[in-house]
Parts: sequence; C-alpha cells; structure tokens
Amino acid sequence: MKKVLAQAMKEFRLFRRDRLLIFLAVFMPVVLLLLAGGTQSLRLRNVPILVYDFDNTPLSRSYLETYGAALTFRMVSNEGQSPERALASGIGRAALIIPQNFERDAHRGVGPTVQLLIDASDSNSATGLGNMAAAINGSFDQRYGLAPPPKQTVRLQQRLWFNPGLVSRIYFGTGGLGMMLIIFPALLGALATAKEYEMGTIIQAYASSLTGAQWVLGKALLYIAIGLVEFFLCFAVGTIFFNFHIPTDPTVLLVATILYLMAGVFFGMMLGNATGTQSAAIQGVQMGSFLLSLLLSGYLFAIANIPVQIRWFSYLLPATFYVQVVRNSVLRNVGWGTSLLPVLALTVLAFSFYFINVLQMRKMQFKA
Amino acid sequence: MNAFFRRYLALATKEVQQLRRNRGLVIQLLLPPTIVLVIFGFALNPKVRNLRLGIVDESLTYESRDFINSLTENVNFNVTEVYTRPEEAEAALNNLNLDLFLDIPTDFARSLRRGETADVQVVIDAVDANTAQIAQGYLGKALEDYNSSASILPVAYSAPRPTLNRAAHPAPPPGAVDVRPAYLYNPGLVTTWYYVTGIMSIIMFINASLVASALAVKEKETGTIEQLMMTPAQTSEMLLAKTSPAFVLMMAVLVIALITSVVVFGLPVRGALWLFLLAGACAALAGIGIGVMIATVSKSQQQAQLLTFFVNPCITLLSGATSPIDNMPEFFQKLSYLDPLRYLVTIIRGVTLKSAPWSALWPNLAALAGCAILLFSISAWRFRKQ
Repeated sequence: MKKVLAQAMKEFRLFRRDRLLIFLAVFMPVVLLLLAGGTQSLRLRNVPILVYDFDNTPLSRSYLETYGAALTFRMVSNEGQSPERALASGIGRAALIIPQNFERDAHRGVGPTVQLLIDASDSNSATGLGNMAAAINGSFDQRYGLAPPPKQTVRLQQRLWFNPGLVSRIYFGTGGLGMMLIIFPALLGALATAKEYEMGTIIQAYASSLTGAQWVLGKALLYIAIGLVEFFLCFAVGTIFFNFHIPTDPTVLLVATILYLMAGVFFGMMLGNATGTQSAAIQGVQMGSFLLSLLLSGYLFAIANIPVQIRWFSYLLPATFYVQVVRNSVLRNVGWGTSLLPVLALTVLAFSFYFINVLQMRKMQFKA
Repeated sequence: MNAFFRRYLALATKEVQQLRRNRGLVIQLLLPPTIVLVIFGFALNPKVRNLRLGIVDESLTYESRDFINSLTENVNFNVTEVYTRPEEAEAALNNLNLDLFLDIPTDFARSLRRGETADVQVVIDAVDANTAQIAQGYLGKALEDYNSSASILPVAYSAPRPTLNRAAHPAPPPGAVDVRPAYLYNPGLVTTWYYVTGIMSIIMFINASLVASALAVKEKETGTIEQLMMTPAQTSEMLLAKTSPAFVLMMAVLVIALITSVVVFGLPVRGALWLFLLAGACAALAGIGIGVMIATVSKSQQQAQLLTFFVNPCITLLSGATSPIDNMPEFFQKLSYLDPLRYLVTIIRGVTLKSAPWSALWPNLAALAGCAILLFSISAWRFRKQ
C-alpha cells in the first residue's frame, strides 16, 4: 500500500507541474458538458416552414394560422423561389402548398388536398413533421366543422413521469455527464502511461521493487481522484443548467462514479500500455471512449435500436451502464434496487480493464 | 519559383518518408472511415419501436380486452406484462422494466355502455423526451382508430355544426382538408443517410486536426525543429510541405468514406462530385490549420493532443452532424456559425442527398475556404514567430 501511495505521489508531482494540463483537466469537462447537454436535441421546435398560399382566402389563411400557432413550426418567407429550390437551399425544412380553390372546394364538400413537401434528408425529423402536420390538419378540420367529430368514447389521461415538461436538456445533460467522465480520465491515464514509454522512464518502474499491479494502481489513483473532482464540478454545473437534483440516496451514484472512473482510467492505461506512443493512445481514446460512447452508449439513441449483431458492443462500454445509473439517480430518484445490475456490470468492467493492465505489466520487462 | 518548388519538393519528400515509416499512423488514419462508418451507419437509429407497455386492467371485461387489443395491434407496443394493481406497474416503471403503462379503471366498461366517455390513464417514462413524445403520438393515433371503429356501443351522433355557409341554404356536407406529406430527397426515409454523411465529415475533420498537430509538435519535441529552421526554406514552404502529406491522406479518407457509404448504404450522390471534393479539400485545410495552430501554442505533444481533444468535441457537437442545428438553443445556433465543420456537413448533405443549387452552396463553400485561409495564416504567423 505504501508503494502504491508513493507511486501516486510521484504522479501528482508530475501532474502539478503542467499548468495547462491542470487547467484543461478541470475546465474542459465543464465547458463540454454545457455543449453536450445544450446542443443535442431531437425535439422539433421552431422548424422553419415555407408557405405557398395559392388560394389566399380567409379559410386558407386560417389554415396557415393553425400551423403558425403550433410551437413546432415557424413560418418563413419563400423569397419567391420554387418550393423545390427553396428546400434544396435549406431556407426551410418543409414547404406547405395550399392549392387554388382551397376554400371553395372545402365548402363544396370536395376535400381539398394540401401538399407538404418535407426535406427528408434527416428522416427522423421528417417523420415527426409529417405526423405533426397530420395532427394539426385534423384539429383544423374539427374546428371548422369540416369533418364529423370523432365518436370519442375513450379518453387518455396522460401523465409524463420524471420529466413532465418533456425537456430534452435533462436527458442529454445526464448523458453528457457520463461522456465527460469517460473521456478525460481515460485520456489522462492513456497519456501518462504512454509518456513513460516514450520518454523511456518506464525502465525506472521496471527496475523498482514495485509489482505490475502496484504500479498500475498507483498511477491510476491520481487520475481517479481528478475524475472525482471533475464529477463534482460537472454535477454543480448540472444542478444550475440542467435541473439535476441531488438524489435522496447518493451512495449509488458515488459508488458507480468511482467504478466508472476506474474503468475509464484503466481503459486509457491499457491503451497506453498497448500502443506505447502518445499519439496512438490518443487516437485509441478518441475512438474507444469518445466516439463509441457518444454514439453507442444510449446517450443519443436508445440501445434497443442498435441491431442485435453489434448491440453486444454497447454492453462492453462502461458509459452504457453509468449513464443508466446517473439517469436513475438524478432523474428518477430510485435507489439501489434499480441500479444494482448496472453497478455490478461496471464493477466487472473496471476490474477486467485493471486485470488486462496487470497482465500487460506482469513481466515488468521490455517487450521482446 | 523554380527554387520554391525544389525546396518544397525536398521538404515534402522528407515528410512522406517520415510518414511512411510510421505505418501505424497511416493504418489508423485509413481504417476508421470504413469500419466506423459501417458500424455507426447501422447502429444509429432514432426510430422508436417495440415500446414496452404494461397494462393494469382493473375492469377485466370484454370491452377492456377489446380496447387493449386494438391499441396493441401495431408493432410499436409490446405488452410485456399485465398487472393487477397499479402499484406493481409503478414499481416496474421505476425499475426500467417498462416504458409506459395503461391503467384501465373499474368503471371502464360501464361508462362505455352508458355512452359516456371512459377515462384511461397512461403513465409514460419521459426521461427521454423524444421517445416520450413519439409514444404519445403513437397512442393518440391508436386511440383515434379505436374510437372511430368502436361499433359495439350506442353512440350519440352530434349533428354537424353549421359551417361558413349561409344559414338559408342547406349546407352540403363539407369536405375535410387533407394534408399529403411528400418526403423529398429520401422518400424511403432511410435513417442511415443522415448519420453517414455527418460521421463522414466528423472523421475527416477530426483526423485532419489530430494528425497535423501531432506531426507539427513532434519536430518541436524531438528538437529537430532547429534543423528545419536552419534550412533555406521559408515558413510558408515549410508549412506547405509539412501539411501536404496529411492533406493527401485526408482526401483519401474522404473518398474511401464516400465509396463505403455509397456501396454499403446506397447513399445517393445527386449533386456535383467536384463540389464535394472541393469542400472536402477546404475542410481538410481548415482542420489541418486548427491542428497546426494548436501545435504552435503548445509546448509538448501531450498538451497539443489535449487541446485538440478539447477543440474537436466542441466542433463535432456544434456542427449539426449528429443532431439538427435548428433544434439547438438560439445561442448555440449562432455559435455554430464559427464552426467550419458545420459548413462541410451542409455541403456534403447538399451534394449527396439534395443536389442543392450552387446559389445555396457557395456561401458555405466561401465560409469554409475563409476558415481555411484564416486558420492557415494564423498558424503561419505563429510558426514564423518561433
């Protein structure tokens, strides 16, 4: 234990000298958390929609008003361009075309057809817009008595739990916390390890009385501690900007965080050991913890949507489990019962990464 | 001019040779586009399917079962379990075993038979706002179907309300307005195309800055920068020679990525290919510019990589590659105009999916070229100062 602490102290002294590194390690996660939580959203709001009213009658204008009243759409001028051209230019994401004789047809009882051209290059938004338009159209028909009222017999009373305002910031903020805590500790661990190989100082570790397991642990200790500092900072930021609440039973979150940080740091060190150069290790971290976690951990899209053939990959990512625990604790405020499985999975992952490190270092010799 | 070219060639040869020895780096650069693109293209899917629906049927009548059947006819809901008490369903929702549950009250059938409106409670786990919203939409649609087809019940028809027609004339039955959505550019609603184009841009840009900063700072670290400074070559020549192999590599990455997406995902290329390549070239230069700039301000490779690591996620998140810019808060939307990747993503999507007109693309291209020139001049200036 004394040896481990000595190794950790040495790491700390090295780290302390690098001002930029300290600044970045503390400051970066906070800025990135704000970005990751603030920019990512799949909810449709204020979508610019182009309007072509070839009828220009009271009824057609009321029809447009119905769209304007919805929060989803924001009407923009078509600047005299054809709908196809305007959509291709990206002025709007959909074009609403009301034909001539719209009002007359409606009153004659010939249902007029309004066309909605949707830019479907983002197919998810496009589907949403199409559904939204259908709903608005239905309510217009109702309001102006153009369609028989539904024989409403069953009414749904909807309750949205945990996030009644349907704010996606909450969702992405908690996911963002998970992202930050995997990227930076892993990066620091990878850099510190690879640097030893690059500078050749690894031989000092080989020559010392440390065993591989002790060396790995001592090195990791500091970066786990830094990760904890980052966690508290990010959590503070989260309470201000993303409505994080401190859970009634914070122990789950704390235990999971420590395990998660361990997994991250050991993963980074594993890459550092394997590659031996800083730039290669960085590339590895970039792929392994940033891109993979960003896209496959359920931060952006539900894991259930990932095809079964590659879904197993998600279960190798610590972020998958950690994001679950964070959302459980911070948003749902449920305790150990729900989070037990993810915490166990995190434990397994953390210790397997540690074990790989020990294997890599077990000889304490230069690679043949 | 001749001398310039000769010096450039000599330096560029040196760079190529250095790069050739570093085979690991080259493989790292050329492999990801294919693998990453394929994995993410398949994996990223925002569609909401197979929502886990729990049911608390307190009515236990023919009517309630009929109602449940009609709601679960589609593929969107999977009834995972039927509970007898609402508390059990609540616990299941808390434990993430359910996405939503329905609570059908005891008086459900009675209300229906009386011709009254029956209330059914739905509780949705709304932590993921997007999924919750979509689930609401599905439920609404399914309910609409149920309500319009419910035939076992005596329903009091209300007379159509008077419409805009004058009261003296008997009004003909008015025609309901119908909205026909047409999905342009992607009528099959293939989700992958959106993400593949985004990821293609991310990979190219991020790698460009990473490689450039690594190459530039390495000279500083190993001390060979002194030798470079001693050569008769000027700063601009040096910079040009230093970045050209990276540039060529990045263009190769982009082309490989494009071919992969066309072959594997059937991504259409509807616009001009030269525009795609031109935009790629500008973006590669901008990315390299960022990399070199970072390299000139940092002392060690570790610092450079860290800075790159800080800059790259910001660029990625703001670019609209993974989530539409329109959905961002106002402030971030404005901020995204500073992001060169934003323009690349717009152009790539414009060229491949939309065949966007030149008038719409050139401002983006100009902005991208502007970024590239600006970043390069700054890094040349910083480079000279050393």
